[in-house]
Amino acid sequence: MNESSENGENRRREFESEALPHLDALFGLALRLTGGDEARSEDLVQDSVLKAWRSWDRFEVGTNCRAWLMTILRNTFINQYRRDRSRPAQVEFEEIAEGPGAGTLYDADPEGRVFDRLVNEHVIRAIEELPDEFRVPVVLADIEGLGYQEVADTLGIPVGTVKSRLFRGRRRLQERLHMFAEEMGYLP
Amino acid sequence: MNDETRGGSGTREAAPEELSCEESLALVYEYLDGELPADWSDAVRRHVEKCRLCYPYFDFERMFLDYVHEAGEGAALANPGLERRIRDLIAGEDGS
Repeated sequence: MNESSENGENRRREFESEALPHLDALFGLALRLTGGDEARSEDLVQDSVLKAWRSWDRFEVGTNCRAWLMTILRNTFINQYRRDRSRPAQVEFEEIAEGPGAGTLYDADPEGRVFDRLVNEHVIRAIEELPDEFRVPVVLADIEGLGYQEVADTLGIPVGTVKSRLFRGRRRLQERLHMFAEEMGYLP
Repeated sequence: MNDETRGGSGTREAAPEELSCEESLALVYEYLDGELPADWSDAVRRHVEKCRLCYPYFDFERMFLDYVHEAGEGAALANPGLERRIRDLIAGEDGS
């Protein structure tokens, strides 16, 4: 093996040992973003890891590889999402009453005990079932921790729209969790 | 959700000393998300801390957001075939 191919081999081993342990985390984020579409999520992870590999020289070893990969995946997804955004909206943006109201999860369980009893799969399912328009801002803000302005810039929509979609997305999540809790017998 | 409401977004007037329950509730997520200017955030906090109706609701919404964050960021078991495919593609690019 000559020196050049040995360097290439070492570079590849370094990338694989740094990046590939994060595949499950990347796949988890991809599932949340795509609404549970496994095939699309696998493609997204694959595309993102290959992009990371091609940019590996720009990665500073010792810094947060997981965060770097997650950012690449998020950007890859968003590029696709924005490209497809000419599709008509999937949902009508109905008005939803603000604050606590009769029949809401808060009304049924003001102490939030269901949050201890429902398992993670319930909220993951609830997130994945949200329409794109709500799910993507919710994943970016509530899971990835982006601020309103960052979500707005990422999606190319006004901050007011981000707030509105987060509000409605979170309300829908609570409605779904309410249903799960009733089905499981956690709520009367 | 109406951005034109007092404290709603963007260009805000200075926060009043006192907020009503309705005004505080309209700002619940912006407050919990840390998106309010300091004077509005202080005004909401002052109201919520002394309001027996709003306090439990804000507490509930905070629990809900924490729950979504913690549950949502969990990993999912990727198909072992995916890792193999990625390793092959990397090796292929490396050798090209």
